[in-house]
Amino acid sequence: MTLMCNFLRLKLIFIKNDYFSSLEGTFLKWISFHFLFTGEQILLSDNASSLAVQAFLQMCELPIKVVCRANAEYMSPSGKVPFIHVGNQVVSELGPIVQFVKAKGHSLSDGLDEVQKAEMKAYMELVNNMLLTAELYLQWCDEATVGEITHSRYGFPYPWPLNHILAYQKQWEVKRKMKAIGWGNKTLDQVLEDVDQCCQALSQRLGTQPYFFNKQPTELDALVFGHLFTILTTQLTSDELSDKVKNYSNLLAFCRRIEQNYFGENGKGHIPLRSQGKKEKQLILSLDQSGYTCEKL
Amino acid sequence: VICWRHSGTSSGAGPRDPPGSLRVGRGARCIGKVGSLSEASAALRLPLVGSGAERRRALPGHPRSRRRQDGGPLRAQVLGGRLGAPFRPQRVPGGSGDVPILTSEDNIVSQPAKILNFLRKQKYNADYQLSAKQGADTLAYIALLEEKLLPAVLHTFWIENDNYFTVTKPWFASRIPFPLSLILPGRMSKRALNRILLTKGEPPHYHLKEVEAQIYRDAKECLNLLSNRLGTSQFFFGNTPTTLDAYVFGFVAPLYKVHFPKVQLQEHVKQLSNLCRFCDDILSCYFRISLAGFSPAGQDTVDANLQKLTQLVNKESNLIEKMDDNLRQSPQLPPRKLPTLKLTTADEESNSFQPLSP
Repeated sequence: MTLMCNFLRLKLIFIKNDYFSSLEGTFLKWISFHFLFTGEQILLSDNASSLAVQAFLQMCELPIKVVCRANAEYMSPSGKVPFIHVGNQVVSELGPIVQFVKAKGHSLSDGLDEVQKAEMKAYMELVNNMLLTAELYLQWCDEATVGEITHSRYGFPYPWPLNHILAYQKQWEVKRKMKAIGWGNKTLDQVLEDVDQCCQALSQRLGTQPYFFNKQPTELDALVFGHLFTILTTQLTSDELSDKVKNYSNLLAFCRRIEQNYFGENGKGHIPLRSQGKKEKQLILSLDQSGYTCEKL
Repeated sequence: VICWRHSGTSSGAGPRDPPGSLRVGRGARCIGKVGSLSEASAALRLPLVGSGAERRRALPGHPRSRRRQDGGPLRAQVLGGRLGAPFRPQRVPGGSGDVPILTSEDNIVSQPAKILNFLRKQKYNADYQLSAKQGADTLAYIALLEEKLLPAVLHTFWIENDNYFTVTKPWFASRIPFPLSLILPGRMSKRALNRILLTKGEPPHYHLKEVEAQIYRDAKECLNLLSNRLGTSQFFFGNTPTTLDAYVFGFVAPLYKVHFPKVQLQEHVKQLSNLCRFCDDILSCYFRISLAGFSPAGQDTVDANLQKLTQLVNKESNLIEKMDDNLRQSPQLPPRKLPTLKLTTADEESNSFQPLSP
């Protein structure tokens, strides 16, 4: 099955090195980064993870180039997007990418002491545990969302029987995982309550500071931004999820700040959220200075 | 009345885990519970038989998720003990449902998080004096524990063959009635393996050995982080225990105290002296056992006695009177260090089910 569709699907982020200069010292010359199928294929949780990594790389001031392919999930060494490809190494997911980048000499969390590093790791786990799992739950275990959005998006690049088969297979896998960690019996309301609790904790931790660890952003900021921004700007069957986040004004200000500093017009890049190519069911995510809005095509 | 149920205590030469003793202490804080404690203690006399029967009926027939099998009972019990809720730990043998379970009047609450919420709604709250930020930190550290430490704990207890067949399986099987004792430990073990493989066993780890290596590495890192966070203070947020202390204790204490053949993680815990000191402190404050069973020769005798204990509801009227006395004599606020009730040695009885009698 996977071999059959191997040539079809891919979402990934490339970091390419400059072939004409030596690799000593500078290991990244330019990184290309574009989302081709954002409008059609990518799902909420993948989008959040990818945005988090992108934000982290922007914060490290590394040149990136985005490449989107339909079979990125299968290209990735751990089966998850996003992943980076630099030289002859491929690294996926935020944790290993942070370590990899740190090994090459770029780190955002060097200035933290031991206790703060412990806290940072704990908060990252909180986000992964609660927000990411809630996103997965919402898009694979909530029947309304599954039927309307997820199935069609997940199976988008494939011809007729394959799109349904793959979507059902993935749904079965995610449901199995949810059951193993105890989320199988949760209702949507309980999941939303967990999201609210998580946002409350993040909001309390952030307080009035610009970033979580005062003046400088760290990987935690990147991760939180990735998830919150995606939640705020993705239109689902209902707005309950984004409403939970909108209750906390300092989190909204935080997202806006990072977006302006690292993705703004005068920033170093832009969040490439325009859809291209075939139009099935698409959402254009647009950034409005006064708030976050989504339009549906 | 709040009745407490969790799965078996130790037997044989096994674990030091002290889940079977009664702990009633007025620990951290009892907010707004002036009248209700004595009410509850009065009410203790009443529906004992009723709640016992209720509990029996309420044994769920369908299996539910059993994660945090090991951390859960201990953790919730510690927290309950700290808060001074009048606990009657009742071990009901068998049961294919969740553990731990808290039964109070006609409420049955089943998972540690829900139990803590329930206690909080009854106005038993250990986090009352924490700032908002510390509350957020609690949530974050709990997530860290569940994500990094729990797989390794599950592995140590349920999947590592030596440990499982020598310690865990006999321990649980001894407290479950015959036909189920053959089935349930195996099922719990499979569930633990399933959980680990589904959450951690993705590529590039294709082999169980690599997954194991990864989860033990994560667990050691997590323990180091906890140790860094604890530093030299007595509890995680100052000098009074909170929910986070209960959670950490629930995870770390079994690792620290249970005698395992394969002791990889235990060695690591023993090297972190402040975590060991933390566990010992909590054990001595909140899990103190009867003087008769205690000998200066140390924990071994203690454990031997604990192993004979099944559930202790020994002298109920003494208990209630003592609680009432304490309540009347002591000031309500600020919370004091606990006068834990000493148990008399009626806990030599080792029958498996103690019928409640007023």
